[in-house]
Amino acid sequence: MDKFQNIENITFTIAFILYMVSAITHLFLVTKLAKKVEPIAILTALAGLVLHTAAMVARTAGANRLPFSNQYEFALSFAWGIVLSFLILYRIYRFGAIGAFVMPLAILVMGYASLQSKAVRPLMPALQSHWLTFHVGTAILSYGAFALACGISIIYLIDAKRTGDHRILKDPEVSDMLTYRVIVFGLLMLTVVIISGAIWAQKAWSRYWAWDPKETWSLITWIIYAIYLHLRLRRNWRGKSAAWFSIIGFISVLFTFVGVNILLPSIHSYAT
Amino acid sequence: MKRTSMKVLHAIASLKVAIVLLSLIAIYIVIGTLLPQHSAPEWYLERYPALGSLIISLSLDSAYGSPIFIVLIALFAINLTTCTVLSLKGQWRQMDSNYYPSFKEDEFTIDIEDQDTVHTFLKRKRFRVERGGDALRAGKFRWGVLGATITHIGLLVLFVGGTIGNMTASEDVVNLLPGNEKRFEEEGFLIRLEDFDMTFDDKGAVKQYISTVTVIDDDGTETTRELWVNNPLHHKGIGMYQASFGWTGNLRVTDTASGEIQAEGLLRSGRTYFHQSSHLTIYLYGYYPEMAIGHDQQPVSLSNREIDPHYAVVLYEFGNPVGSYIIAPGEAIPYKDLEITFTHAVAYTGLLVRSDPSYPVVLAGFLIILLGMFVSFYCYPRFIHFSSGTLRTASRRNGWVFHHSVRSALERTQTRKNKED
Ligand code: HEM
Repeated sequence: MDKFQNIENITFTIAFILYMVSAITHLFLVTKLAKKVEPIAILTALAGLVLHTAAMVARTAGANRLPFSNQYEFALSFAWGIVLSFLILYRIYRFGAIGAFVMPLAILVMGYASLQSKAVRPLMPALQSHWLTFHVGTAILSYGAFALACGISIIYLIDAKRTGDHRILKDPEVSDMLTYRVIVFGLLMLTVVIISGAIWAQKAWSRYWAWDPKETWSLITWIIYAIYLHLRLRRNWRGKSAAWFSIIGFISVLFTFVGVNILLPSIHSYAT
Repeated sequence: MKRTSMKVLHAIASLKVAIVLLSLIAIYIVIGTLLPQHSAPEWYLERYPALGSLIISLSLDSAYGSPIFIVLIALFAINLTTCTVLSLKGQWRQMDSNYYPSFKEDEFTIDIEDQDTVHTFLKRKRFRVERGGDALRAGKFRWGVLGATITHIGLLVLFVGGTIGNMTASEDVVNLLPGNEKRFEEEGFLIRLEDFDMTFDDKGAVKQYISTVTVIDDDGTETTRELWVNNPLHHKGIGMYQASFGWTGNLRVTDTASGEIQAEGLLRSGRTYFHQSSHLTIYLYGYYPEMAIGHDQQPVSLSNREIDPHYAVVLYEFGNPVGSYIIAPGEAIPYKDLEITFTHAVAYTGLLVRSDPSYPVVLAGFLIILLGMFVSFYCYPRFIHFSSGTLRTASRRNGWVFHHSVRSALERTQTRKNKED
């Protein structure tokens, strides 16, 4: 087990450094100081992701289960989801600049992870369920997508004030549409997260819904993104107000993830 | 007259109202999570001198069951129902295979010469193609407009399920020692606890609580099953869930001189036994399977493994405390002409017994919502128009994304073709 822990620590650290390099090069990219660094920014992010994945594999091997069950493991996976969704979007649309807003976030979440206890502890009875894997696995995808959407929305709001070549992405309409597509994926996944959580709670605690702070905050997040969807149905509400809701939605995601654990008593607090 | 009523209906169904209601619901829920719930009114008045009375008048102390919250949800359900019904007509029209949206003149166009390439592409992507002279029109996933409606219906089903649940669900906690039975009169069966076990991991933390239960129906059929956390037992509409556990000690009161046992039985931790003949009250303060002394000099248990078990016992005579003791199993407390011992401990299981006939409805609501969202987001209607070297794409909420995907796919088709040529 010590061996795995060592591999995990080393790969984690290198991934962290690579993400830093990637974030800094991305910042150069958007401030137009150096336009040619995009390949470096993307490749370091990709290399970081590979090592990050190795850290998660080592963790999985050491703990004999997927790294989904305490605050450290979830932060580790959350950051992974953020970088992965960024790189997937890059592969499809080639908008590297988004990394300038997403990679720093991944670093923050990794930093948060490194502050948590890394001890592998046995699972308490309520967590011993296949639903855990499914529930948390979809949460990672969902949160990663929302992080990405938040990044693009920030770009949208910056670009809305600029014109032509000064814009980060050429066409704000495109940023708006991309945000929409990314949020739609995140929201579908979040719906799966909430529903799987409810089904699991029905099995473990007899009630699918108990207004526990963590589940309540996931509902709040869900409602915010539902509002976002409907804002976009009207032409004049699209764009700015929708972008703000995308950002507020992600703040709610972060609060659900971190704030609830710190500030509110919860049956989910075993996840600390 | 008809006009005004339609106007009112459209106002009720408006998106603005929907967004305002959703925001209010979200804010109400947020306050419910930030404010401690279900305390006494005096507590709020004392803790929040300025806002206390407001909190109580808005029922924010029990936010999720308060009349205001229920009214908000009801208004929302009305808004949602009306809007869903009103939009059905338009969606019906758009599902018709002759329906095409207007294709914008300049936006979302792709220049492509070869009609055959376009036709092959559309066929491969399973579009329904319509030829007219040298022009092509094609559409796909027209039924996808129903996605929003399906989602909305799922939500309404969920509301109905939740409401039924709130009115009909019942819940009870049943504590059972091995051998104990609990009868369910209406359903016509009883359960008997055969055994209750805890398993531990190598660090001493509880790995699982396991109750072995026999269900005995009134017609005599018996089945025995184990149940544990995440593995409940369902029988005749009743769910039984492993929820808690506790300890009892086997109390024995013996006459010191004759050795005669005057009383014996299991006493639950935290409960008292009154021994009438000597006006003695025996209070089992606690049972500590792995005892240690905490910093406040109180006994604590490091785990639930019976490694170094002790009982804490307090005796009262005529209501006055006369002594407190920490004893090991079998160790006697001499008191006047009596000896008081706790021979061994037995754990009892706490089963949560709950019936909620609405759960299947709720589950159906969940699945309908998921289906509706998937249809909305991934099976949205897509349309293509092609004439004289220009291809136009149209998709109501996904214009640019659809255009981008068609462009990349066409480029790929063309490169492939060029390679073949
Ligand atoms: C939390 C509650 C709600 C959820 C989860 C929800 C969900 C959805 C979804 C997933 C869509 C498809 C959107 C898209 O494809 O981008 C949609 C569309 C729509 N929703 Fe809702 N909805 C909710 C409440 C409401 C309410 C209360 C109204 C009433 C005004 C409403 C009116 C509409 C309309 C008019 C559309 C567009 C339908 C169309 O163009 O085909 N929604 N909704």
